Amino acid sequence: MASSKHNEVLYGLYNDEEVLMDAIRNAHKKGLDIMEVYTPFPVHGLDDCLGLEESRLHIAGFIYGITGTMTAFGFMTWVFTRDWPIIFGGKPYWSVPAFIPISFELTVLFACVGMVITFYTICGMGPGITNPILDDRITDDKFCIAFNVNNASSGDVNEMKAFFNETGAEEVNKKTI
Amino acid sequence: MGHHTKDIDISEKFEFTGREKSVLGGLMGLGVICLAITYFQGSDDHHLRFWTNFLHNTVFFTGIAFISMFLLAAKVLAYSGWHTVWKRLLEAKAQFLIFGLVSILLIWLGSQLGMHHIYHWNFPNITDEASECFDPIIGSKAGFLNSSFYLGATLVFGGLWYACVIMFRRLSLSEDANGDESYSHHKKMKLVSAFFMPFGGFTSAALIWLWVMSIDSHWYSTMFAWYATASWLVSAVALLILTIIYLKGRGYFSYISGEHIHDLGKYLFGFSIFWTYLWFSQFMLIWYANVGEETIYFDGRMNDYPLLFWANLVMNFALPLLVLVRNDAKRKFGILTFVCVLVLFGHWWDFFQMIKPGALHTEHMWHSYQCAGDHGHADDHSETGFLNEAPNSDATAMLTNFQDDNHAHDDADHAHGDEAHADGEHHHHDEDAANADEHHHHGEEAHEDGHSDDHGADGHHDEHHSDGHHDDHHGDDHAGHHGGEHGDHGGHDGHHHDTEFRMGFTVPGLLELGTFIGFLAFFYFVVFTSLAKAALVPKNDPYLDESLHHHVGYGGGNMEDGGHH
Repeated sequence: MASSKHNEVLYGLYNDEEVLMDAIRNAHKKGLDIMEVYTPFPVHGLDDCLGLEESRLHIAGFIYGITGTMTAFGFMTWVFTRDWPIIFGGKPYWSVPAFIPISFELTVLFACVGMVITFYTICGMGPGITNPILDDRITDDKFCIAFNVNNASSGDVNEMKAFFNETGAEEVNKKTI
Repeated sequence: MGHHTKDIDISEKFEFTGREKSVLGGLMGLGVICLAITYFQGSDDHHLRFWTNFLHNTVFFTGIAFISMFLLAAKVLAYSGWHTVWKRLLEAKAQFLIFGLVSILLIWLGSQLGMHHIYHWNFPNITDEASECFDPIIGSKAGFLNSSFYLGATLVFGGLWYACVIMFRRLSLSEDANGDESYSHHKKMKLVSAFFMPFGGFTSAALIWLWVMSIDSHWYSTMFAWYATASWLVSAVALLILTIIYLKGRGYFSYISGEHIHDLGKYLFGFSIFWTYLWFSQFMLIWYANVGEETIYFDGRMNDYPLLFWANLVMNFALPLLVLVRNDAKRKFGILTFVCVLVLFGHWWDFFQMIKPGALHTEHMWHSYQCAGDHGHADDHSETGFLNEAPNSDATAMLTNFQDDNHAHDDADHAHGDEAHADGEHHHHDEDAANADEHHHHGEEAHEDGHSDDHGADGHHDEHHSDGHHDDHHGDDHAGHHGGEHGDHGGHDGHHHDTEFRMGFTVPGLLELGTFIGFLAFFYFVVFTSLAKAALVPKNDPYLDESLHHHVGYGGGNMEDGGHH
């Protein structure tokens, strides 16, 4: 992913996600090694099509969530039975129903914050980090397939260009990022 | 439509086979037999078990029909596309509405003819201020809780629901035959939906109050309609998934893929959590505020019907949560079938515990009711009842005692905890005393007449107020003043009669299960009949293509059925 080394990238821009998906299948058939695909919105089925592994982010989320639940529940139990027992509304010190909303909130909080931090870390994003972008339009209305051509021969590059042409790419560019 | 529909048979039509008809017919027969046995069984002259079973199943399946229409309307209004391939199922399920409404009318008729006394507010003269049996709480609700409103609301609200169902179905069938690129039918469906969504949303609350919540006539809860409707919603989703799996097994719906099933599984999971959220919101507010009229509802259920109360949470929250939380569990037909059957039964159980304890309780009140007219009641209630109860048997203490029980499991070496616990007990009683005062005021406010007499009549009265039972024996207090016996208090006091095991009330018995299966078969008879009348694929629906290519972006592979991708 993001490394200090600069990559030379050949990329094609497409107008439509269906065309993009067909192009990806075509690239697999030709044995072309796709570096990355950029889309302005999540395209359903793209992960399958690229053969990406299922994200494990939700497993991390589950662990953060359960940590939040236990933190809240354990803390309240300690406070209200050991540290500073106070009667509220005639209820017992250890009043499970009253603990549930807070346990729930902390579950959500831990899961959300934890997942955001994990996601940003994995993706190399964060405050103060700038990530080069191939083309501004991939955040708007263009779909992009990128090949890494650092060590590609001119024959390979020509094959890629031919691929872009026959799969309906609107534009083909080369850029060093 | 588009080129994508070429590879499916768009004229595929469901055939309601003779075998299915005879199986469903046989199961309906079983239901009728079970209902008949509950009617004739026992010495109960009001056939309480029969009427409550009938009400329970009627409300359950009417609600599923209503929610099916509600889901359809929501889908259309939200520009949803993916549901299109299974929208015929919702249309077919909504058709049951008319049978459900007619059954409700039978229950209304039964109450008018004095055949049953499920509804406390329907006791003769109970809202008549001049009567000795006047009940101020019910009196204050009489504008809503009366038989004319019950009938009128069921007819007008339910009738308009059914009108929407018919209009929607007609438009959908007509779209099949004459639909074109102007999508005029779809636009009209949007109009019907736009009316139905808010109208159905508000009026279903009113009807669920009347049909179910009014059994506990004194009770107040603003969460109830939400919670009961969520119960319907989960049941409807479970039935939808089961139907799709069944029909796929019969060779239909080859184009309904793991993607659709996955999203329906998310509904099942999400709405189960939603139900729990509402259930808990209702419970916690009442538990926390601990106002007698409200607490009594949960007090009775937790202490006298613990199995009903806790199994409800296990079946409808804990198990669906644990089983469905994994991503791929929502795609495996075996697991989904198990969870669907579980929560369908679970929500049927939920309605059981909404209806049965209250109805049994009301029957006890009826037995000691002084203005019953010629529907006389036996004088065989020898228990002196709760008047001799120690004050700490109150609702407050019971709810907290229940937690104290848990507390008792703490290790003995938690010295500090134990100390705190003992301390807590102590404060409790103080608190109870405070509560008693509070309730007392409340009581005076609510019952402008008569209550000062009560104190003269029985010295324990303040304790009863602190009991949170005060709504409970209110009618009986009057009965007491006016010369009747304090009969049968024990019954609805919850410590004598209700704790006795009574099949069909304490837990659903085989006859309840048989009735449930009979109603389910009836429901499916209607659904399949309706389903067989139209093609399964709504071929001119503007969103058909999107629905055929529905994809949830699940990267895990492991597709159950190799459907469309």
